[in-house]
Amino acid sequence: MKFVFRAFTLTALLLLALPMAANAQQTCPIKLGGILPITGSLASIGKPISDAAQMAVDDINKAGGIKGCQVEFILRDDQTQTPVALDAAKFLIEVQRVPAIIGPVPSAAAIPMASTFAVQSKVVLSTCCATSPTLTTLAQEGKSGGYFFRTLPTTKTQAYSLARIAIEAGYRRTSVVWANNDNGRFTFSDFQKAFEKLGGKVAADASFNENQPSYRAEVQKALGGNPDSVLFIAFPQDGATVVREWLQLGGTQNMLVINGLRSEEFIKAVGPRFLQKMIGYDVAQVKGPSVDAFNAAWNTKFGRAPATPGLHSTYDSVMVVALAMQLAKEVNGTEIRDNMRKALTLNGEVVFPGSDGFKKASDLIKAGKAIRYVGATGPLQYDQYGDVSAPTMQWKIDADGKIVEGGTRTLDQVQELFKQVDG
Amino acid sequence: MFGQALADGILTGAILSLGAIGITLCLTILRFANFAHSELMTWGAYFAFTFTSLGLMGSPLGPLTFGWGFLLATLIAGALTACLALVVDRTVFRRLRNKNATRLTLIFASFGVALVLRHVVVLIFGPQVEYYSRELQMAVLLLPGVRVMPDQFFVLGLTVALVVLLQLFLTHTRLGLAMRATAESPMLAQVSGIEVTHVIAWTWVVAGLLAAAGGVFFGLTVQMRPEMGFNLLLAVFAASIIGGSGSLFGAVLGGLIVGLSENLATLVVPTSYKQAVPFLLLVVILYFRPQGLIAAKT
Repeated sequence: MKFVFRAFTLTALLLLALPMAANAQQTCPIKLGGILPITGSLASIGKPISDAAQMAVDDINKAGGIKGCQVEFILRDDQTQTPVALDAAKFLIEVQRVPAIIGPVPSAAAIPMASTFAVQSKVVLSTCCATSPTLTTLAQEGKSGGYFFRTLPTTKTQAYSLARIAIEAGYRRTSVVWANNDNGRFTFSDFQKAFEKLGGKVAADASFNENQPSYRAEVQKALGGNPDSVLFIAFPQDGATVVREWLQLGGTQNMLVINGLRSEEFIKAVGPRFLQKMIGYDVAQVKGPSVDAFNAAWNTKFGRAPATPGLHSTYDSVMVVALAMQLAKEVNGTEIRDNMRKALTLNGEVVFPGSDGFKKASDLIKAGKAIRYVGATGPLQYDQYGDVSAPTMQWKIDADGKIVEGGTRTLDQVQELFKQVDG
Repeated sequence: MFGQALADGILTGAILSLGAIGITLCLTILRFANFAHSELMTWGAYFAFTFTSLGLMGSPLGPLTFGWGFLLATLIAGALTACLALVVDRTVFRRLRNKNATRLTLIFASFGVALVLRHVVVLIFGPQVEYYSRELQMAVLLLPGVRVMPDQFFVLGLTVALVVLLQLFLTHTRLGLAMRATAESPMLAQVSGIEVTHVIAWTWVVAGLLAAAGGVFFGLTVQMRPEMGFNLLLAVFAASIIGGSGSLFGAVLGGLIVGLSENLATLVVPTSYKQAVPFLLLVVILYFRPQGLIAAKT
């Protein structure tokens, strides 16, 4: 009996192995998965994001595809729901057998996907938008196996930049009021680290839970440290409550805020005349020929400017994966993972977005030359955890409540800041 | 710091008390835990908002951010919320009562009602935050180290007045007596010639009025959003239970205990744990006095 069972198992294994062996030879078309929020609460930005991804795939195919094969983009709508996104990942990996997936957009979906499906099935996840530092932690602990990449910087960039902004504004004793969530916790601890390294001191900090009726107690605690300035790490609705209470209880108007508070709703709720000294942080859109090329192409294709968030980073998240496939010996998840950074080789020949750019890159790869893709988001580099840095800027409010941008910091300056803080 | 925490605790507690009284009334007279009660607070706040956004704010009185118009709007909001409570009772709870539904059924029905009421607010007013006045009121130094906003002070005064009025109503009017009698024993009350359906209707009216007042006061001193009632729900229930379900002053005391323990706790524990403190207290109090601090005599 035992022998029969063993023989059966062996045969079954052999039968399973056969199609795998056949797969080793490149089959056309090359499949690329996509999990994006086309409906649901992120629909308004998710639909254009899927257009950007499709546009990248079209550019690649127009340039002759990858290894002589056309790319088939299999896009699934996750309805902005994590369970649906995970289900879509299962389908793409197990049924469609894609080697790489573009997306998902929210960190809430990216975290479980990166730590389970991606690493177990050896599939690359390349996202435009998930910014949670938990994804960095997963990478540091080896739980995502290096298969996770993103083209938007994490909250660490935000925290360090805000520390620099505070120092430059002459603040030395800053209180921090932070939302008790992933974003808040990590931004606060990174801010504290950077601020103290740069010569400041966190006067007092108070965390708050979202959706609470009032934050007077938290504000009192932050006021207790006798600060010369204050940093708010919050989203618009609670942010309005806490900033209003801060001002009402006599807190300073020397305020710093994260990019989450760059919102009309927040400015209107607090009142522009109290926000004249407020400085906000955000990621800057780089200027340069590669960015212009993308903007122009988008304009021609859709008849409007690429104004919603995540379009540039989505285009790049597809392009780098495609270039990695082109560089890979064979198209599978692990090979793609290992070649993602080679598409961005620092002293390689520069290639731009668009089908011409991809064609040029393909020719260079065929000739065995190193390439450096400079994308729709400008020059980009993945660090060892698959994260990118980006240029930053600061914004203020004018007397009418309009947002005025300024104080751009280039990528080199941001990286210098990182070096200064992390040593 | 201590004085400020004390003041904040009392001011928060006052608003919670108004909600807790309504819950207590439901528990004793209607005999079920009404989880939709806090949605009535939301509705009260938004009813008043409808009028203030039509320009019925009035010119500010002294240091306050509102005028007579706002008080009128609050009154109308109270009346409308009472009507809403009656409509909900007619359409949902009365039908269930008439079919002798169990208490658990009523509780679950109240969950359903809460969801519907909350989402109708989103549908009509949208999910964004609203304020009666965008003007930012600065706190004034009341005592050394204690800052309060004039609006909060006004709210506290009005709350005290409302509670005293309610107590007088319950002890000195026939209707009040009938309500208390029904709370003691619906059977006996009916035998003594009290129209119980009548009493139930008035209970909804009083609960609706107080909920509206609580909601408006909250909207005035903090902000309005569709989930405001939902976010207050746990605290209001805790207040009602700590005080001892069935007692007016118990509900007020419960509200103050919840407000004070949250605010005083921040002097000792990290601020993000402050919401756990009233519930810890709830467990301790129920361990020693399962009937609550001030329980109605049985």
